[in-house]
Amino acid sequence: MAPNVPDLFVHPLRGVLERLPEHAAMTLEEIRVRENRPLEIGYAGRYAFVRPDGSLAADGRSAYAPGREECRALLERVTRHSLYAVEEELKRGYITVEGGHRVGLAGRAVLERGTVARLKDITGFNVRIARARGGCAAAVLPGILDFRERTVRHTLIVSPPQQGKTTLLRDLIRCISAGEWSHAAAAGWGGRKVGVVDERSEIGACEAGIPSFDLGPRTDILDACPKAEGIMMMIRSMSPEVIAVDEIGRQEDADALAEALHAGVRVVATAHAADLEDVFSRPVLAGMAERGMFGAYVLLSRSGGKVEHRVIAAEQTSREFKSRPKPAIRSPDAFAAERPVP
Amino acid sequence: MIRFAGAMLVLLAGTLIGYAQAARFAARPRQIRQLIHALQRLETEIQYGQTPLPEALARLAGVVPEPVSGLFANIAGQLEQRAGPTVREIWERAIAGGWSRTAMKTPEREALARLGATLGGSGREDQLKHVRLAMLQLQAEETAAREEQQRYEKMSRSLGVLGAALVVIVLL
Repeated sequence: MAPNVPDLFVHPLRGVLERLPEHAAMTLEEIRVRENRPLEIGYAGRYAFVRPDGSLAADGRSAYAPGREECRALLERVTRHSLYAVEEELKRGYITVEGGHRVGLAGRAVLERGTVARLKDITGFNVRIARARGGCAAAVLPGILDFRERTVRHTLIVSPPQQGKTTLLRDLIRCISAGEWSHAAAAGWGGRKVGVVDERSEIGACEAGIPSFDLGPRTDILDACPKAEGIMMMIRSMSPEVIAVDEIGRQEDADALAEALHAGVRVVATAHAADLEDVFSRPVLAGMAERGMFGAYVLLSRSGGKVEHRVIAAEQTSREFKSRPKPAIRSPDAFAAERPVP
Repeated sequence: MIRFAGAMLVLLAGTLIGYAQAARFAARPRQIRQLIHALQRLETEIQYGQTPLPEALARLAGVVPEPVSGLFANIAGQLEQRAGPTVREIWERAIAGGWSRTAMKTPEREALARLGATLGGSGREDQLKHVRLAMLQLQAEETAAREEQQRYEKMSRSLGVLGAALVVIVLL
Protein backbone atom coordinates (compact mmCIF):
# COMPACT_ATOMS: atom_id res chain seq x y z
CA MET A 1 0.00 0.00 0.00
CA ALA A 2 1.20 3.53 -0.67
CA PRO A 3 3.10 4.90 2.32
CA ASN A 4 0.67 7.70 3.09
CA VAL A 5 -2.49 5.62 2.96
CA PRO A 6 -4.04 5.54 6.41
CA ASP A 7 -4.07 2.22 8.22
CA LEU A 8 -7.84 1.90 8.28
CA PHE A 9 -8.63 -1.14 6.24
CA VAL A 10 -8.88 -4.75 7.34
CA HIS A 11 -8.23 -7.93 5.49
CA PRO A 12 -9.24 -8.73 2.70
CA LEU A 13 -9.96 -5.14 1.58
CA ARG A 14 -6.52 -4.20 2.82
CA GLY A 15 -4.93 -6.84 0.65
CA VAL A 16 -6.74 -5.57 -2.44
CA LEU A 17 -5.46 -2.05 -1.84
CA GLU A 18 -1.94 -3.31 -1.21
CA ARG A 19 -1.92 -4.88 -4.67
CA LEU A 20 -2.77 -1.65 -6.47
CA PRO A 21 -0.44 -0.91 -9.37
CA GLU A 22 2.47 1.34 -8.47
CA HIS A 23 1.43 4.39 -10.53
CA ALA A 24 -2.05 4.42 -8.99
CA ALA A 25 -0.79 3.86 -5.46
CA MET A 26 1.66 6.74 -5.68
CA THR A 27 -0.90 9.24 -6.95
CA LEU A 28 -3.82 7.97 -4.89
CA GLU A 29 -6.31 10.69 -3.99
CA GLU A 30 -9.47 8.95 -2.94
CA ILE A 31 -10.57 5.51 -1.89
CA ARG A 32 -14.29 5.08 -2.17
CA VAL A 33 -15.77 2.18 -0.26
CA ARG A 34 -19.44 1.35 -0.61
CA GLU A 35 -20.87 -1.68 1.10
CA ASN A 36 -21.46 -4.56 -1.33
CA ARG A 37 -20.75 -2.31 -4.29
CA PRO A 38 -17.62 -1.95 -6.41
CA LEU A 39 -14.52 -0.55 -4.78
CA GLU A 40 -13.42 2.64 -6.51
CA ILE A 41 -10.27 4.74 -6.31
CA GLY A 42 -9.39 8.19 -7.55
CA TYR A 43 -5.81 8.78 -8.62
CA ALA A 44 -4.03 11.42 -10.69
CA GLY A 45 -7.36 13.08 -11.48
CA ARG A 46 -8.91 9.88 -12.81
CA TYR A 47 -11.22 7.22 -11.44
CA ALA A 48 -11.20 3.46 -11.72
CA PHE A 49 -12.71 0.40 -10.11
CA VAL A 50 -10.43 -2.13 -8.46
CA ARG A 51 -10.55 -5.85 -9.15
CA PRO A 52 -9.85 -8.35 -6.32
CA ASP A 53 -6.28 -8.81 -7.62
CA GLY A 54 -5.63 -5.06 -7.38
CA SER A 55 -5.74 -4.34 -11.09
CA LEU A 56 -7.83 -1.42 -12.32
CA ALA A 57 -10.97 -1.69 -14.39
CA ALA A 58 -13.20 0.84 -16.05
CA ASP A 59 -16.20 -1.41 -15.53
CA GLY A 60 -17.58 -1.98 -12.03
CA ARG A 61 -18.93 -5.46 -12.64
CA SER A 62 -15.65 -7.31 -12.21
CA ALA A 63 -14.58 -5.11 -9.30
CA TYR A 64 -14.09 -6.10 -5.71
CA ALA A 65 -17.10 -5.37 -3.49
CA PRO A 66 -16.28 -4.82 0.19
CA GLY A 67 -18.62 -6.72 2.51
CA ARG A 68 -20.53 -5.76 5.62
CA GLU A 69 -17.84 -6.82 8.10
CA GLU A 70 -15.11 -4.86 6.30
CA CYS A 71 -17.27 -1.75 6.32
CA ARG A 72 -18.10 -2.15 10.00
CA ALA A 73 -14.42 -2.53 10.82
CA LEU A 74 -13.59 0.50 8.66
CA LEU A 75 -16.18 2.59 10.48
CA GLU A 76 -14.79 1.45 13.83
CA ARG A 77 -11.28 2.44 12.87
CA VAL A 78 -12.35 5.76 11.42
CA THR A 79 -14.19 6.59 14.65
CA ARG A 80 -11.45 5.07 16.82
CA HIS A 81 -14.01 2.54 18.04
CA SER A 82 -16.01 5.37 19.58
CA LEU A 83 -19.06 6.57 17.71
CA TYR A 84 -20.12 8.40 20.86
CA ALA A 85 -17.05 10.62 20.68
CA VAL A 86 -17.63 11.78 17.10
CA GLU A 87 -21.29 12.75 17.21
CA GLU A 88 -20.50 16.30 16.17
CA GLU A 89 -18.50 15.05 13.19
CA LEU A 90 -21.26 12.64 12.19
CA LYS A 91 -23.62 15.58 12.06
CA ARG A 92 -21.32 17.23 9.51
CA GLY A 93 -20.78 14.03 7.60
CA TYR A 94 -17.03 13.62 7.75
CA ILE A 95 -14.29 12.68 10.17
CA THR A 96 -10.64 13.65 9.97
CA VAL A 97 -8.39 10.76 10.90
CA GLU A 98 -4.74 10.44 11.89
CA GLY A 99 -2.53 12.03 9.24
CA GLY A 100 -5.09 14.62 8.17
CA HIS A 101 -6.97 12.32 5.83
CA ARG A 102 -10.61 13.19 5.64
CA VAL A 103 -13.17 10.43 5.55
CA GLY A 104 -16.57 11.45 4.19
CA LEU A 105 -19.47 9.33 5.33
CA ALA A 106 -22.82 8.53 3.82
CA GLY A 107 -25.63 6.66 5.48
CA ARG A 108 -29.09 7.31 6.79
CA ALA A 109 -29.64 10.63 8.49
CA VAL A 110 -31.40 10.72 11.84
CA LEU A 111 -33.34 13.92 12.32
CA GLU A 112 -34.09 15.67 15.54
CA ARG A 113 -36.41 18.66 15.39
CA GLY A 114 -35.93 18.89 11.66
CA THR A 115 -32.13 19.06 11.57
CA VAL A 116 -29.65 16.26 11.06
CA ALA A 117 -28.67 14.88 14.45
CA ARG A 118 -26.34 12.14 13.20
CA LEU A 119 -25.90 9.43 10.61
CA LYS A 120 -26.68 5.78 11.09
CA ASP A 121 -26.34 2.70 8.88
CA ILE A 122 -23.17 4.18 7.47
CA THR A 123 -22.24 2.26 4.34
CA GLY A 124 -20.48 4.80 2.13
CA PHE A 125 -16.94 6.00 2.78
CA ASN A 126 -14.78 8.39 0.85
CA VAL A 127 -11.23 8.37 2.19
CA ARG A 128 -9.45 11.45 0.87
CA ILE A 129 -5.72 11.14 1.10
CA ALA A 130 -4.07 14.28 2.45
CA ARG A 131 -0.57 15.10 1.35
CA ALA A 132 1.83 17.83 2.09
CA ARG A 133 3.41 19.08 -1.10
CA GLY A 134 6.28 21.25 -0.03
CA GLY A 135 7.06 23.96 -2.53
CA CYS A 136 3.70 24.24 -4.24
CA ALA A 137 3.23 27.70 -2.73
CA ALA A 138 6.50 29.02 -4.15
CA ALA A 139 4.89 29.80 -7.49
CA VAL A 140 1.83 31.46 -6.00
CA LEU A 141 3.32 33.49 -3.19
CA PRO A 142 5.11 36.21 -5.22
CA GLY A 143 1.77 37.04 -6.85
CA ILE A 144 -0.01 37.77 -3.61
CA LEU A 145 2.64 39.82 -1.82
CA ASP A 146 1.86 43.30 -0.54
CA PHE A 147 5.20 45.11 -0.88
CA ARG A 148 4.10 48.30 0.89
CA GLU A 149 3.04 46.50 4.06
CA ARG A 150 5.67 43.78 3.70
CA THR A 151 3.13 41.00 4.06
CA VAL A 152 0.57 39.12 1.97
CA ARG A 153 -2.59 40.57 0.50
CA HIS A 154 -6.03 39.34 1.54
CA THR A 155 -6.24 36.27 -0.61
CA LEU A 156 -9.03 33.91 -1.60
CA ILE A 157 -8.02 30.56 -3.07
CA VAL A 158 -10.77 29.34 -5.37
CA SER A 159 -11.27 25.97 -6.99
CA PRO A 160 -13.73 23.12 -7.32
CA PRO A 161 -13.27 20.26 -4.83
CA GLN A 162 -10.29 17.96 -5.28
CA GLN A 163 -7.89 20.41 -6.89
CA GLY A 164 -5.56 20.93 -3.99
CA LYS A 165 -6.87 24.01 -2.20
CA THR A 166 -5.99 22.74 1.22
CA THR A 167 -2.61 21.48 0.08
CA LEU A 168 -1.78 24.92 -1.32
CA LEU A 169 -3.10 26.69 1.77
CA ARG A 170 -0.99 24.44 3.98
CA ASP A 171 2.17 25.28 2.08
CA LEU A 172 1.32 28.99 1.96
CA ILE A 173 0.96 28.97 5.74
CA ARG A 174 4.31 27.26 6.09
CA CYS A 175 6.04 29.74 3.78
CA ILE A 176 4.48 32.84 5.35
CA SER A 177 5.30 31.56 8.81
CA ALA A 178 8.86 30.65 7.90
CA GLY A 179 9.45 33.76 5.79
CA GLU A 180 10.13 31.88 2.56
CA TRP A 181 8.65 34.53 0.31
CA SER A 182 10.15 33.24 -2.95
CA HIS A 183 10.73 36.80 -4.09
CA ALA A 184 14.00 38.71 -4.21
CA ALA A 185 12.51 41.97 -2.87
CA ALA A 186 11.04 40.16 0.10
CA ALA A 187 14.15 38.30 1.15
CA GLY A 188 14.68 40.20 4.40
CA TRP A 189 11.09 40.35 5.62
CA GLY A 190 11.24 37.38 7.94
CA GLY A 191 8.27 35.23 8.90
CA ARG A 192 4.86 36.43 9.99
CA LYS A 193 2.77 35.23 12.92
CA VAL A 194 0.09 33.05 11.41
CA GLY A 195 -3.13 32.04 13.13
CA VAL A 196 -4.85 29.01 11.66
CA VAL A 197 -8.47 28.27 12.49
CA ASP A 198 -8.69 24.66 11.49
CA GLU A 199 -12.38 23.86 11.75
CA ARG A 200 -12.12 20.55 9.90
CA SER A 201 -8.75 19.57 11.37
CA GLU A 202 -7.60 19.23 7.80
CA ILE A 203 -4.98 21.94 7.48
CA GLY A 204 -2.78 20.87 10.37
CA ALA A 205 -4.22 17.41 11.14
CA CYS A 206 -3.49 18.01 14.80
CA GLU A 207 -3.03 15.16 17.17
CA ALA A 208 -3.46 16.24 20.76
CA GLY A 209 -2.85 19.82 19.68
CA ILE A 210 0.39 19.21 17.75
CA PRO A 211 0.08 19.56 13.96
CA SER A 212 1.21 16.53 11.99
CA PHE A 213 1.95 18.67 8.93
CA ASP A 214 4.72 21.24 8.97
CA LEU A 215 3.00 24.60 9.20
CA GLY A 216 6.08 26.67 9.96
CA PRO A 217 7.66 27.95 13.16
CA ARG A 218 5.39 30.96 13.81
CA THR A 219 2.01 29.30 13.42
CA ASP A 220 -0.68 28.93 16.08
CA ILE A 221 -3.53 26.54 15.46
CA LEU A 222 -7.02 26.49 16.87
CA ASP A 223 -8.01 22.95 16.13
CA ALA A 224 -11.61 21.86 15.42
CA CYS A 225 -12.87 25.34 16.23
CA PRO A 226 -15.81 26.87 14.33
CA LYS A 227 -14.33 29.48 11.98
CA ALA A 228 -16.34 32.53 12.98
CA GLU A 229 -15.70 32.10 16.68
CA GLY A 230 -12.16 30.93 16.13
CA ILE A 231 -11.17 33.99 14.10
CA MET A 232 -12.38 36.27 16.88
CA MET A 233 -10.61 34.19 19.52
CA MET A 234 -7.40 34.32 17.52
CA ILE A 235 -7.53 38.09 17.11
CA ARG A 236 -8.23 38.62 20.79
CA SER A 237 -5.71 36.19 22.17
CA MET A 238 -2.88 35.41 19.77
CA SER A 239 -2.24 38.70 17.92
CA PRO A 240 -1.78 37.06 14.52
CA GLU A 241 -0.51 39.02 11.52
CA VAL A 242 -2.06 36.60 9.06
CA ILE A 243 -5.11 34.41 9.60
CA ALA A 244 -5.65 31.33 7.49
CA VAL A 245 -8.98 29.51 7.24
CA ASP A 246 -10.36 26.75 5.07
CA GLU A 247 -13.58 26.77 3.07
CA ILE A 248 -15.45 29.92 3.92
CA GLY A 249 -18.96 30.45 2.65
CA ARG A 250 -21.35 31.24 5.46
CA GLN A 251 -22.43 34.70 6.53
CA GLU A 252 -20.83 34.31 10.01
CA ASP A 253 -17.51 33.55 8.36
CA ALA A 254 -17.77 36.69 6.27
CA ASP A 255 -18.56 38.82 9.32
CA ALA A 256 -15.65 37.41 11.27
CA LEU A 257 -13.29 37.89 8.34
CA ALA A 258 -14.47 41.50 8.00
CA GLU A 259 -13.61 41.93 11.64
CA ALA A 260 -10.15 40.50 11.06
CA LEU A 261 -9.60 42.82 8.09
CA HIS A 262 -10.45 45.84 10.17
CA ALA A 263 -8.17 44.64 12.93
CA GLY A 264 -5.29 44.90 10.49
CA VAL A 265 -4.86 41.19 10.08
CA ARG A 266 -4.24 39.72 6.65
CA VAL A 267 -6.49 36.85 5.64
CA VAL A 268 -5.78 33.82 3.47
CA ALA A 269 -8.89 31.74 2.88
CA THR A 270 -10.16 29.08 0.52
CA ALA A 271 -13.60 28.64 -1.02
CA HIS A 272 -15.37 26.13 -3.21
CA ALA A 273 -16.15 27.63 -6.59
CA ALA A 274 -15.46 26.69 -10.17
CA ASP A 275 -14.16 30.09 -11.22
CA LEU A 276 -14.38 33.76 -10.42
CA GLU A 277 -17.82 34.01 -11.95
CA ASP A 278 -18.97 31.42 -9.44
CA VAL A 279 -17.49 33.44 -6.65
CA PHE A 280 -19.49 36.44 -7.74
CA SER A 281 -22.69 34.42 -7.95
CA ARG A 282 -22.46 33.05 -4.42
CA PRO A 283 -24.20 35.61 -2.21
CA VAL A 284 -21.79 35.63 0.72
CA LEU A 285 -18.61 35.52 -1.35
CA ALA A 286 -19.98 38.08 -3.79
CA GLY A 287 -20.80 40.41 -0.91
CA MET A 288 -17.26 40.13 0.38
CA ALA A 289 -15.76 40.58 -3.06
CA GLU A 290 -17.87 43.63 -3.82
CA ARG A 291 -16.84 45.29 -0.60
CA GLY A 292 -13.31 44.83 -1.83
CA MET A 293 -12.30 42.54 0.97
CA PHE A 294 -9.93 40.44 -1.06
CA GLY A 295 -6.81 41.77 -2.65
CA ALA A 296 -6.05 38.75 -4.78
CA TYR A 297 -7.64 35.57 -6.01
CA VAL A 298 -5.84 32.33 -6.75
CA LEU A 299 -7.65 30.04 -9.16
CA LEU A 300 -6.67 26.41 -9.28
CA SER A 301 -7.39 24.13 -12.14
CA ARG A 302 -6.15 20.79 -13.07
CA SER A 303 -5.15 19.10 -16.25
CA GLY A 304 -4.17 15.49 -15.99
CA GLY A 305 -2.18 15.04 -12.81
CA LYS A 306 -0.87 18.60 -12.70
CA VAL A 307 -2.36 21.47 -10.75
CA GLU A 308 -2.19 24.85 -12.40
CA HIS A 309 -2.84 28.15 -10.75
CA ARG A 310 -3.67 31.65 -11.84
CA VAL A 311 -3.32 34.69 -9.59
CA ILE A 312 -5.73 37.53 -10.29
CA ALA A 313 -5.50 40.85 -8.50
CA ALA A 314 -8.77 42.27 -7.23
CA GLU A 315 -8.43 45.45 -9.35
CA GLN A 316 -8.72 43.39 -12.51
CA THR A 317 -11.76 41.44 -11.36
CA SER A 318 -13.82 44.40 -10.23
CA ARG A 319 -13.42 46.07 -13.59
CA GLU A 320 -14.25 42.86 -15.36
CA PHE A 321 -17.32 41.93 -13.37
CA LYS A 322 -18.99 45.25 -12.65
CA SER A 323 -19.34 46.01 -16.32
CA ARG A 324 -21.05 42.73 -17.05
CA PRO A 325 -24.72 42.09 -16.17
CA LYS A 326 -25.06 38.89 -14.18
CA PRO A 327 -27.63 36.33 -15.31
CA ALA A 328 -29.85 35.30 -12.39
CA ILE A 329 -29.94 31.65 -13.35
CA ARG A 330 -27.53 29.98 -15.65
CA SER A 331 -28.68 27.30 -18.00
CA PRO A 332 -27.13 23.84 -17.74
CA ASP A 333 -25.65 24.39 -21.19
CA ALA A 334 -23.65 27.28 -19.88
CA PHE A 335 -22.18 25.01 -17.23
CA ALA A 336 -21.34 22.35 -19.75
CA ALA A 337 -19.69 24.85 -22.00
CA GLU A 338 -17.59 26.29 -19.23
CA ARG A 339 -16.47 23.12 -17.56
CA PRO A 340 -15.53 20.45 -20.02
CA VAL A 341 -15.85 17.04 -18.39
CA PRO A 342 -12.52 15.27 -18.46
CA MET B 1 8.29 -41.01 61.09
CA ILE B 2 7.61 -41.03 57.39
CA ARG B 3 3.95 -41.65 58.12
CA PHE B 4 3.85 -38.66 60.40
CA ALA B 5 5.50 -36.48 57.80
CA GLY B 6 3.00 -37.67 55.18
CA ALA B 7 0.10 -36.94 57.48
CA MET B 8 1.42 -33.44 58.08
CA LEU B 9 1.77 -32.88 54.36
CA VAL B 10 -1.80 -33.99 53.71
CA LEU B 11 -3.05 -31.75 56.51
CA LEU B 12 -1.08 -28.81 55.17
CA ALA B 13 -2.31 -29.36 51.63
CA GLY B 14 -5.93 -29.65 52.73
CA THR B 15 -5.69 -26.48 54.78
CA LEU B 16 -4.13 -24.55 51.91
CA ILE B 17 -6.82 -25.73 49.51
CA GLY B 18 -9.46 -24.64 52.00
CA TYR B 19 -7.87 -21.23 52.44
CA ALA B 20 -7.46 -20.74 48.70
CA GLN B 21 -11.12 -21.57 48.20
CA ALA B 22 -12.09 -19.14 50.95
CA ALA B 23 -9.93 -16.43 49.40
CA ARG B 24 -11.80 -16.87 46.11
CA PHE B 25 -15.10 -16.42 47.88
CA ALA B 26 -13.77 -13.24 49.46
CA ALA B 27 -12.18 -11.91 46.28
CA ARG B 28 -15.24 -12.26 44.06
CA PRO B 29 -17.40 -9.49 45.58
CA ARG B 30 -14.34 -7.29 45.90
CA GLN B 31 -13.45 -7.65 42.23
CA ILE B 32 -17.04 -7.12 41.16
CA ARG B 33 -16.98 -3.88 43.14
CA GLN B 34 -13.78 -2.84 41.36
CA LEU B 35 -15.40 -3.64 38.05
CA ILE B 36 -18.34 -1.40 38.98
CA HIS B 37 -15.93 1.39 39.91
CA ALA B 38 -14.24 1.00 36.56
CA LEU B 39 -17.54 1.21 34.72
CA GLN B 40 -18.47 4.33 36.67
CA ARG B 41 -15.27 5.87 35.44
CA LEU B 42 -16.09 4.75 31.92
CA GLU B 43 -19.46 6.45 32.25
CA THR B 44 -17.72 9.71 33.07
CA GLU B 45 -15.25 9.34 30.23
CA ILE B 46 -18.06 8.79 27.75
CA GLN B 47 -20.38 11.46 29.09
CA TYR B 48 -18.09 14.36 29.86
CA GLY B 49 -14.77 13.61 28.22
CA GLN B 50 -16.05 11.95 25.04
CA THR B 51 -12.75 10.13 25.26
CA PRO B 52 -12.12 7.61 22.49
CA LEU B 53 -12.47 4.06 23.73
CA PRO B 54 -8.80 2.99 23.68
CA GLU B 55 -7.78 5.94 25.86
CA ALA B 56 -10.81 5.60 28.10
CA LEU B 57 -10.06 1.92 28.76
CA ALA B 58 -6.40 2.63 29.42
CA ARG B 59 -7.49 5.13 32.06
CA LEU B 60 -9.83 2.60 33.63
CA ALA B 61 -6.91 0.22 33.92
CA GLY B 62 -5.16 2.90 35.94
CA VAL B 63 -7.90 3.35 38.54
CA VAL B 64 -8.53 -0.26 39.57
CA PRO B 65 -6.08 -2.85 40.94
CA GLU B 66 -5.11 -6.14 39.31
CA PRO B 67 -6.45 -8.46 38.00
CA VAL B 68 -9.39 -6.32 36.83
CA SER B 69 -7.09 -3.61 35.50
CA GLY B 70 -5.25 -6.22 33.42
CA LEU B 71 -8.43 -6.94 31.48
CA PHE B 72 -8.90 -3.32 30.50
CA ALA B 73 -5.23 -2.68 29.84
CA ASN B 74 -5.20 -5.68 27.53
CA ILE B 75 -8.25 -4.49 25.57
CA ALA B 76 -6.93 -0.93 25.35
CA GLY B 77 -3.54 -2.16 24.12
CA GLN B 78 -5.08 -4.35 21.44
CA LEU B 79 -7.34 -1.54 20.26
CA GLU B 80 -4.36 0.81 19.97
CA GLN B 81 -2.38 -1.76 18.02
CA ARG B 82 -5.36 -2.48 15.80
CA ALA B 83 -4.99 -6.15 16.64
CA GLY B 84 -8.51 -6.99 15.59
CA PRO B 85 -11.24 -5.64 13.41
CA THR B 86 -13.88 -4.68 15.96
CA VAL B 87 -14.20 -3.88 19.65
CA ARG B 88 -16.52 -6.83 20.08
CA GLU B 89 -13.95 -9.36 18.91
CA ILE B 90 -11.07 -7.87 20.87
CA TRP B 91 -13.22 -7.61 23.95
CA GLU B 92 -14.40 -11.22 23.74
CA ARG B 93 -10.88 -12.49 23.19
CA ALA B 94 -9.49 -10.51 26.11
CA ILE B 95 -12.20 -11.74 28.46
CA ALA B 96 -11.79 -15.34 27.34
CA GLY B 97 -8.05 -15.09 27.92
CA GLY B 98 -7.92 -13.15 31.18
CA TRP B 99 -11.02 -14.25 33.01
CA SER B 100 -9.46 -17.26 34.73
CA ARG B 101 -7.05 -14.90 36.52
CA THR B 102 -9.97 -13.27 38.30
CA ALA B 103 -12.19 -14.76 40.99
CA MET B 104 -15.33 -13.78 39.13
CA LYS B 105 -17.84 -16.22 37.70
CA THR B 106 -20.03 -16.65 34.63
CA PRO B 107 -22.84 -14.13 35.36
CA GLU B 108 -20.38 -11.23 35.66
CA ARG B 109 -18.58 -12.42 32.60
CA GLU B 110 -21.79 -12.44 30.61
CA ALA B 111 -22.73 -8.95 31.76
CA LEU B 112 -19.33 -7.63 30.71
CA ALA B 113 -19.39 -9.47 27.38
CA ARG B 114 -22.80 -7.99 26.59
CA LEU B 115 -21.44 -4.54 27.30
CA GLY B 116 -18.46 -5.19 25.03
CA ALA B 117 -20.74 -6.10 22.16
CA THR B 118 -22.35 -2.66 22.22
CA LEU B 119 -19.46 -0.45 23.29
CA GLY B 120 -18.36 2.17 20.80
CA GLY B 121 -21.12 1.27 18.38
CA SER B 122 -23.67 3.96 19.11
CA GLY B 123 -24.27 7.50 20.31
CA ARG B 124 -23.51 8.83 23.74
CA GLU B 125 -26.95 8.42 25.33
CA ASP B 126 -27.23 4.86 24.14
CA GLN B 127 -23.74 3.99 25.37
CA LEU B 128 -24.51 5.38 28.80
CA LYS B 129 -27.65 3.23 28.99
CA HIS B 130 -25.64 0.13 28.23
CA VAL B 131 -22.95 0.96 30.77
CA ARG B 132 -25.58 1.63 33.43
CA LEU B 133 -27.37 -1.60 32.62
CA ALA B 134 -24.12 -3.53 33.01
CA MET B 135 -23.50 -1.80 36.34
CA LEU B 136 -26.97 -2.78 37.59
CA GLN B 137 -26.37 -6.40 36.66
CA LEU B 138 -23.00 -6.35 38.37
CA GLN B 139 -24.51 -4.83 41.49
CA ALA B 140 -27.02 -7.69 41.67
CA GLU B 141 -24.17 -10.15 41.27
CA GLU B 142 -22.19 -8.38 43.94
CA THR B 143 -25.02 -8.82 46.45
CA ALA B 144 -25.28 -12.49 45.60
CA ALA B 145 -21.51 -12.88 45.86
CA ARG B 146 -21.46 -11.27 49.30
CA GLU B 147 -24.13 -13.67 50.55
CA GLU B 148 -22.10 -16.56 49.21
CA GLN B 149 -19.01 -15.19 50.85
CA GLN B 150 -20.74 -15.02 54.26
CA ARG B 151 -22.12 -18.49 53.87
CA TYR B 152 -19.15 -20.34 52.42
CA GLU B 153 -15.95 -18.48 53.27
CA LYS B 154 -15.50 -19.86 56.80
CA MET B 155 -17.03 -23.15 55.84
CA SER B 156 -14.56 -23.84 53.05
CA ARG B 157 -11.69 -22.99 55.36
CA SER B 158 -12.84 -25.48 58.02
CA LEU B 159 -13.80 -27.95 55.30
CA GLY B 160 -10.24 -27.93 54.03
CA VAL B 161 -8.76 -28.68 57.44
CA LEU B 162 -11.39 -31.22 58.37
CA GLY B 163 -11.26 -32.97 55.00
CA ALA B 164 -7.51 -33.33 55.31
CA ALA B 165 -7.93 -34.65 58.84
CA LEU B 166 -10.42 -37.22 57.55
CA VAL B 167 -8.02 -38.39 54.88
CA VAL B 168 -5.27 -38.68 57.49
CA ILE B 169 -7.46 -40.70 59.80
CA VAL B 170 -8.62 -43.03 57.04
CA LEU B 171 -5.08 -43.60 55.80
CA LEU B 172 -3.60 -44.09 59.23
